[in-house]
Amino acid sequence: MTIQFKPDETFRDEFSYSNSDAAVLRFPFPFPEDAYMYSVNIEPHVRGGPSPAFDNPFDVDEHYVAECRERAKVLEQDPSRCKVLPHMMAAEWDTLELIMESFATSYPEHFTLTRDGTSWTWENRPLGIRDSFTFGDASTLPLPPFEYITRQAQGDFTLQDQREDNLFVDGGMVTTQADWSLDFDVGMTFHQWHGPVPLAHQKGVFDRALKFLLRLQYGAPVRRLNWTMTVNPRLDTSPENYPQWGPDRLTLTPENIGRKLHLRVELQSLFRLPRSNAILFGIRCYLCSIEDLARVGVWGKRLHRVLRDLHPEIADYKGTTRYRDMAVAYLAPFDDGAELPAGTAPRQSTLAPRS
Amino acid sequence: MLVSDIKSRPVYERLGVDASGRRHLVVSDAPRPLAEVIDGADSAAAPLGYWVVAATSAVDAQPQAEPATGNAVPLERRAFRAVPHLLDRLSHRLAQETVGFRLYAVGEEGFVWNVAKLAREAGLEAAECRTAHAGSLRRRVFCVHCKTITEDVTTSLAACDGCGAHLVVRDHFSRHLAAFMGVQADAEAPGELPPVEELFP
Amino acid sequence: MTALTVPLRVAATVPLSPTLRAFTLIPADGGLAPPSGPGAHLRLHLRSGGKLLRNAYSLTSNPEDRSHLSIIVRRVAASRGGSAFLHEEVAEGDVIEAGLPANLFPLVRTARKHLMVSGGIGLTPFLAYIAAFEAAGTPWELHHFCRPDERAVFEALLARLPASRVHIHCDMALGALEDALLRQPLGTHFYTCGPAALMEAGLALAQALGWPKVRLHSESFGGAAEGGAPFVAVLRRSGIEVAVGAETSLLAAMEAAGVDAPCLCRGGACGQCLIEVAEGEPEHRDHFLDEAERASNRLIMTCVSRSRTPRLVLEL
Repeated sequence: MTIQFKPDETFRDEFSYSNSDAAVLRFPFPFPEDAYMYSVNIEPHVRGGPSPAFDNPFDVDEHYVAECRERAKVLEQDPSRCKVLPHMMAAEWDTLELIMESFATSYPEHFTLTRDGTSWTWENRPLGIRDSFTFGDASTLPLPPFEYITRQAQGDFTLQDQREDNLFVDGGMVTTQADWSLDFDVGMTFHQWHGPVPLAHQKGVFDRALKFLLRLQYGAPVRRLNWTMTVNPRLDTSPENYPQWGPDRLTLTPENIGRKLHLRVELQSLFRLPRSNAILFGIRCYLCSIEDLARVGVWGKRLHRVLRDLHPEIADYKGTTRYRDMAVAYLAPFDDGAELPAGTAPRQSTLAPRS
Repeated sequence: MLVSDIKSRPVYERLGVDASGRRHLVVSDAPRPLAEVIDGADSAAAPLGYWVVAATSAVDAQPQAEPATGNAVPLERRAFRAVPHLLDRLSHRLAQETVGFRLYAVGEEGFVWNVAKLAREAGLEAAECRTAHAGSLRRRVFCVHCKTITEDVTTSLAACDGCGAHLVVRDHFSRHLAAFMGVQADAEAPGELPPVEELFP
Repeated sequence: MTALTVPLRVAATVPLSPTLRAFTLIPADGGLAPPSGPGAHLRLHLRSGGKLLRNAYSLTSNPEDRSHLSIIVRRVAASRGGSAFLHEEVAEGDVIEAGLPANLFPLVRTARKHLMVSGGIGLTPFLAYIAAFEAAGTPWELHHFCRPDERAVFEALLARLPASRVHIHCDMALGALEDALLRQPLGTHFYTCGPAALMEAGLALAQALGWPKVRLHSESFGGAAEGGAPFVAVLRRSGIEVAVGAETSLLAAMEAAGVDAPCLCRGGACGQCLIEVAEGEPEHRDHFLDEAERASNRLIMTCVSRSRTPRLVLEL
């Protein structure tokens, strides 16, 4: 199936980003229940589930071209958003191989990988890229292998080296993040990196997640969803550029909050890499305005309940304190209080027009 | 949550000589009695050095061997003129060392994590390089916006030496940068600043 | 969970000595062999005399080359059948199912230098290690211990490597190893694979010479699953009772009964075969559970651990 890309939409300045109805309906809605709390919500990353976003190892959607352009803009301003420590070169090649193989298999109409031994040719038609190179020889690519391939994928990626029964975040491409800094965190252990997350440490979430991840097998990737909220469809909500996006939070009004406030969902996937024994962590970001979410009946009601009853410390960590009441008030009319079935499927195949 | 239980913030314990080591070196950013900074030095079974920063040009880093007392092995003392003087000498020592070596750093946070970084770059594992805090609690703060490190921060809020932003000092610590993270306090509402508190004397 | 498997064709099988045989395997359906890293092993699913054996062998091929996978198999006298089957019944052209390569013995990428100590067939993972070190220009040093009658076999396997890095010893005297351990630069990591007695002696010597545990690595799969008193495993959820004989492991007995039990390393290291215990007292032989988990008697690693009680009820 050929994807209709929207190459000119933007994630800054005039914010021309929007979701088609089909994109709203395939949104990976993260709340199976009316209440939210941290948990080790990890499942096998296999085809199937409530959203087509889960159908491929790496999801490509209508925002692909525009997101790759946005990434290039961020890297032009701040190249340190991509950083890989020198001992991770094998993991760089692992990542390139995994993404190229997956893209070419999942979307043959858009991507082609041709291999003859270590002589590889990569064609990325949506971005107009065609390069021949020698696998394993970084001098034959225009960029280091990890940066080369992650500039051509949606979402952030980090590389975790496994040693001392721990995971170290020893590399990454992080331009679409929810307020954490790779430049600051690179080299940290799993627990140090997650240090600022409230409540989850006390609940043992990270201890259990680490133990699980240390056993992650090649060929058996896993995924989980995480979420926060973002004002405007802005991908780069980095701490680096907080002075640029922080004031957005004061621009919300009861009139514009439906269009301006976005639920930001991260489809996080974890792959054991075969050569390096490192773990690739994909953090794929999906943005949907709360106005569009409320066009799906069960989602509007559930989002209202989750935000209304959110633990204050989590609400604060996710940066929602200034506008949570306004968002709850906006969503309240969509919620009749009826009991909702568990699960995240939209339970409808078309959307009412935007009001 | 300026002083919190964030897991990246180092927790220090009192130093003790690691009996499994074959050579030990203790470094301190100020002259302190050895027994005050580490337990077990007087009964160490392997050679032990103690290097301190004396903060005067009158010293010359010559090793001063101290005769062994009782069962203890000889102790080698050196005094350095300044922190960079000690670190430079240390990097040469590390380049000559073999596995079995143990390093101990005591002092202010900026000093001990600079030593730890030098050790890591020389191939020492975290288990072979122990750190303890002594002296002022002042912090090094990395400005996440402009990448400048501002030294000697004692307050909850500090102006960045690079870009001038008023940084709130998060309790998130990077061992690679040997610094805490600083984030602009009034990014959402410019000029709206919390009161300044003296937190890290 | 059933792990993915790939069919591999035996492209070549070459005897190296009366007890050692090398196998070259290629994907049966063409294409590229699955990628792997230094230290990875391949689990072969061997159907011999109505039994299914799943034996793991270290990959000796260069991880950068995906044209084939190579292993070397020693015929074990007290074999459960796997090595004898490979030596005697498998011929070129045969197709064998294999799990995807997994790695429980990865090298430490931050290390400055790698010091390897192997005994006999324990050399195999280091052949893949050395290929990676040579390609990257990373310093390494190998001390290989073997019987005098096999010296020529191992010399041939190591012939193309720099002689200054390879040290072959035909006695168990560890003096040369002690000298090596005393002169390693900071940043060196130590790896050992071979007979348990050699690995234990090497690790103990290194620790005595001031090497912290974080620098010491040993291959641990295989060998741990040895017999004990027979017992009955009751699989509560599936309503099956499995008799575990004195010479078989709990995991193997369940597999023989047709139960699709989770597993990976089969050596008590990886944690994949963890099952909850409802009743009975496990006899823990694994390296995975911590003290509190062991003491709780609520968990068992079925690949190596057994039962202290005649009946063990499992949540499976």
